[in-house]
Amino acid sequence: MSEVRTSKVDELRVVHQPLPRHDQAEKIAGTTRYAGDLAFAGMLHARLVRAQIPSARLTRRDATQARAAPGVVAVLFGEDVPNNEIRVDVPGQTVAVGALKASMQVLATDRVRFHGEPVALVIAETEDALAVACDLVEIEYEDLPVVSDPIAALTDGAPEVHPGGNLLAEWRIDRGDVDAAFAQAAVTVEETYRTQFVDHAYLEPEAGVGWLDDDGVLTLRVATQVVEHYRDVAKILGVPDSKVRVIAPYVGGGFGGKEDMTVEPYIAVAVHHTRKPVRMLWTRNESLLARAKRHRNVMRYRTAAAADGTLLAHDIEIVSDAGAYAYLSALVLLYSTVHACGPYRVPNVRIWSRTAYTNNPPTSAFRGFGGMQMVLGYESQIDEVAHRLGIDQGEIRKRNALVKGDRLPVGQEIITEVWLPQTIDAVLERAGEKPRPSGPRKAVGRAIASNMQSYGRLVWLNDSAAAWIGFQMDGSLTVRCGVPDIGGGQASSLGQIASEILAVDMDRISVHFGDSALNPLAGTTTATRQLLMSGNATYEAAVLLRDQILSGVAEETAQPVESLRMQPGQVAGPETTVPLTQALQVCRRRNVPVEALGTFFGPKGKEVTRDLEGDRIFPDFTFGTHLADVEVDLDTGEVQILRYLAAHDVGRAINPLSVEGQICGAAVQGLGQALLEDLVVQEGVNLTPGLFQYLIPTATDVPDVEAIILESGEGLGPFGARGIGEPPIGPPIAVIPAAIADAVGALPTTLPVTPERVLRAAGGR
Amino acid sequence: MSERHDVTTTLTVNGVPVTKTAGAHLSLLRWLRDVADVTDPKYGCGEGVCGACTVLIDGDQVSACIVLAAQVDGAQVTTAAGLSEPGGSLGPLQRAFHEHHAAQCGFCTPGMLLCAKSMLDESNGAPLTRAQIREDLHGNLCRCTGYSPIVDAIQAAQEAGRPQAASAP
Amino acid sequence: MFVKPFRYERAESLAHACDLLRSADGYAKAIAGGQSLLPLMNLGLLEVDEVVDLSAIAEARGVTMGDDGFAAIGALTRHRELERDEALAAAQPLITAAVAWIGSSRIRNRGTLGGSLAHSDPSAELPLVMTALGAEYTLTNGTDERTVRADEFHVSYFTSALEEDELVASVRVPVLGPGWGWGFAEVARRKGDFMLAAAAVIARVADGRVVEARLALGGVHERPMRFGAVESAVAGATSDELDGRIGPIEGSAPVSDTSASAEHRAHLARVLAVRALTDAMTRGEAA
Repeated sequence: MSEVRTSKVDELRVVHQPLPRHDQAEKIAGTTRYAGDLAFAGMLHARLVRAQIPSARLTRRDATQARAAPGVVAVLFGEDVPNNEIRVDVPGQTVAVGALKASMQVLATDRVRFHGEPVALVIAETEDALAVACDLVEIEYEDLPVVSDPIAALTDGAPEVHPGGNLLAEWRIDRGDVDAAFAQAAVTVEETYRTQFVDHAYLEPEAGVGWLDDDGVLTLRVATQVVEHYRDVAKILGVPDSKVRVIAPYVGGGFGGKEDMTVEPYIAVAVHHTRKPVRMLWTRNESLLARAKRHRNVMRYRTAAAADGTLLAHDIEIVSDAGAYAYLSALVLLYSTVHACGPYRVPNVRIWSRTAYTNNPPTSAFRGFGGMQMVLGYESQIDEVAHRLGIDQGEIRKRNALVKGDRLPVGQEIITEVWLPQTIDAVLERAGEKPRPSGPRKAVGRAIASNMQSYGRLVWLNDSAAAWIGFQMDGSLTVRCGVPDIGGGQASSLGQIASEILAVDMDRISVHFGDSALNPLAGTTTATRQLLMSGNATYEAAVLLRDQILSGVAEETAQPVESLRMQPGQVAGPETTVPLTQALQVCRRRNVPVEALGTFFGPKGKEVTRDLEGDRIFPDFTFGTHLADVEVDLDTGEVQILRYLAAHDVGRAINPLSVEGQICGAAVQGLGQALLEDLVVQEGVNLTPGLFQYLIPTATDVPDVEAIILESGEGLGPFGARGIGEPPIGPPIAVIPAAIADAVGALPTTLPVTPERVLRAAGGR
Repeated sequence: MSERHDVTTTLTVNGVPVTKTAGAHLSLLRWLRDVADVTDPKYGCGEGVCGACTVLIDGDQVSACIVLAAQVDGAQVTTAAGLSEPGGSLGPLQRAFHEHHAAQCGFCTPGMLLCAKSMLDESNGAPLTRAQIREDLHGNLCRCTGYSPIVDAIQAAQEAGRPQAASAP
Repeated sequence: MFVKPFRYERAESLAHACDLLRSADGYAKAIAGGQSLLPLMNLGLLEVDEVVDLSAIAEARGVTMGDDGFAAIGALTRHRELERDEALAAAQPLITAAVAWIGSSRIRNRGTLGGSLAHSDPSAELPLVMTALGAEYTLTNGTDERTVRADEFHVSYFTSALEEDELVASVRVPVLGPGWGWGFAEVARRKGDFMLAAAAVIARVADGRVVEARLALGGVHERPMRFGAVESAVAGATSDELDGRIGPIEGSAPVSDTSASAEHRAHLARVLAVRALTDAMTRGEAA
């Protein structure tokens, strides 16, 4: 079990307890029905036919033979879709950040822009018929130029991926006097860092079933992080929003890859067309080809520092690869820009960030959302400054760390305590002595890396979430909240919060989640926002409900309401204690509702402008530090991680087991990006469309991540919690190169750090 | 060229004999999921790499996605559900997973359980170290947990299963 | 994952299987463990009209020790059986060591020796080891048999000397004699992945020096190959001298892919050759 250090001792009954989650037993028993596990009698099967080349005009699309094949019900092209457009529209997005460019066709009609783009939808009675029919769809292409490098895409005369040029979004920041700062610097460091395309590689490929219910509501039960996509599906079908329902069952991993629509439009179109239940399962190959990836960034940093290690200036240029369609690229770039300087005070900052279209796979949301790639940049730069000045890694970070009241270069004030120094001390203390190499041709290195990552959505998106809680007359509790549960205990945490406030045991609470028609909407399970948003909404609902029950009992028993307490099974007062079931009946008699709806509105701010002049962009941030010991084989370049520590201030750990799980899981995902994962695309062609080529960490590639949970109580979530889903994914991509540099003497600046790149850094040692 | 050739296959799945006539081209995974409605083995890759489809055939772990059902006609098949107690409550290995928070999204869990069972059965009582457990787990991918709680669970199950251990299953 | 329907025939013997292959209408493939062929089918890279299933055949399994300094291994012996065979581990530990590197235990539970050899992947462990040992494969078409040495059997990527109606029936391997040691060294990106490169060595050692060495490298050519030039270069060397005696490996032709570049594979081949030879010498001296 990890170490938990808390700054406030509260008598919490259920919150802060490491409780096994309520969904775990079914998952472990194997009875959970994921999106692909549900089948209907008479169900049809649907599959996409996808472009096999990255850039072409479609000159012929013919389904005559396919339609004639046995068992085939329909073959649809773009013209058969009522409104053949998918719009990726984050509420509140403005023209200035390219929202209106974020659209693509459901099925391509004239042009394909990436390897894997959908062109036809085949619907058949059996999967066998589908396999045969898909090969019979005839598609002819006329090759068009391929743009595969985002920097080249931004040069004059580059072929246009979309009309209007390849620049999708751009930000420029200029604060203070950067040139003057460089003029007086004691040390200047310049370097370019490169990250790669990364795939979510959740174990569950995209899947779902759709059907028309008895009221003609088109219902989709799909692996998704966002039930609100019912609105986008309704637009595609040309039906009212109220006629589409999305149900999110337990999802087999999301990480942002199931944030945009995946199977939803296709299942919906198939159901709409055939009026029958339809199932669609993507193969792993399709998932690796066509699901939007993590943006690869090229980050050029120039950093100026004073002789005592104080950072004076950053001059940063970022180019990210938006792939063939915009999706959320503009927002991801915004995150990269805001996070570019890291958790440090930097008075003079110039940032020029751009994201460019290419004929590469589309890129979109992925845990860390643009903020995590920057960790490689800002941590490597501060390390080099430290190295040149002979200052210790931990010391230089503490010297420059933000404190409450400081402002980021974009103007945002840090409104909570920053426990960065405490996380640094925590890992250094726990780490002990650096190990010695195990042989003559081995070298050991140690490094730390710190980061900050926002939690909660951009404040000008007017985020909100709602939750409903109701007592049953026997004292058990029902919670309804539209939050999708993607494995991080999202639903279970709500039960814990309700349990804490209303003093009902966890095994008497049911949480119904993830249904756009039957639950109050809570928004996306993304952006590390659910604990802040639905957690607070549940907290609000629970407090409202508690106050209602107590007011009913207060009147009945003539005791002041402030003197009453909810306790397990009863309402306790100084003179009279009433059993809970009786209290509920009292409320009914007195017309006091035994249910409540809570709505939580996220922090608000004004929309950002092109130069990011704004008071507040994110609600708040989570800070942390990781430490790694690595051993390098100087002959083969192989890297073994000997030890890995991860310390984060989580504000308050609602469920320490869940928090530890997030820290370990995210850190290992980050380690995968650091050492192994590379979605390789060459001239637009995806060369790693299988899990035997796209390498994610196995149990032998990573050690036990030792999670150190610090609790400042300073977060904006319920009970002072901060979000923890995304923050731990950032530091690994900096700490591993840094530890390797400590071992072999030079820093690898391109990810993943393959054995070859290690040997190059070791340079013939 | 693509005429259907059906075969009749009998498999005893978690103790229950199931006989079906279906296409000979069906992998054991597809046969279990689509023909026999046994959905706890999952499709993760179809390449035999991820381990989400792990089942036991006559006690040995295999990737169901790269075995034809017809090839194992007559065999005893165990899926994760087969590790539960007759009444449906969790068996000892499953309880260890539950107590150690060894599942987050849960998609890899059925495969992990069977890999764990296999490694414990084949260890012949000699206690496996954490490093050995991780080695034996290398063919089962997990994207959520980072593997530590799964190793914890297997160690705990190992402890509980030893004849001289005080705790009863 | 969605394989098109095919016809299925279950063979009762190797001879029956060869008959079925001969008489099949369209493209027929024999499947034993299926651990190489079924992934290809699931990925849509291989389509067949008929599958001839060898997995029910009772013959051609197990390891038999001869009294002539050789052992015979049935082609349908599963990797798992090879891994656990104690007689084989004593007689030819190079094979036992190499099998442990094949995939995962799930793959080893199903995959067979004959299947791996017939698939002829130059990045596979068993073809490599058999090449180092100079093993002989007995091939059958049901009526006639012929013997082909490993280095003639493995022709190119996924191409062997098998005729369309032939199957590997058994493999004859030398037993490791006194004074001989073995070494096996492999590098893969992750445990169980396809090798980037590997070296398989047996060497006879006397007075701390190499008397005779047989070295084969995998992952660096279209087929596993012995490298006579290296074998000659290390003749008479002590283990300290090995590194200096081996320069860049001539005659290899590795390719670049998403896992590693050709240059890196060539570099690794050299490193692993030294490691495998060093281990073989250590064991040879103790033998």
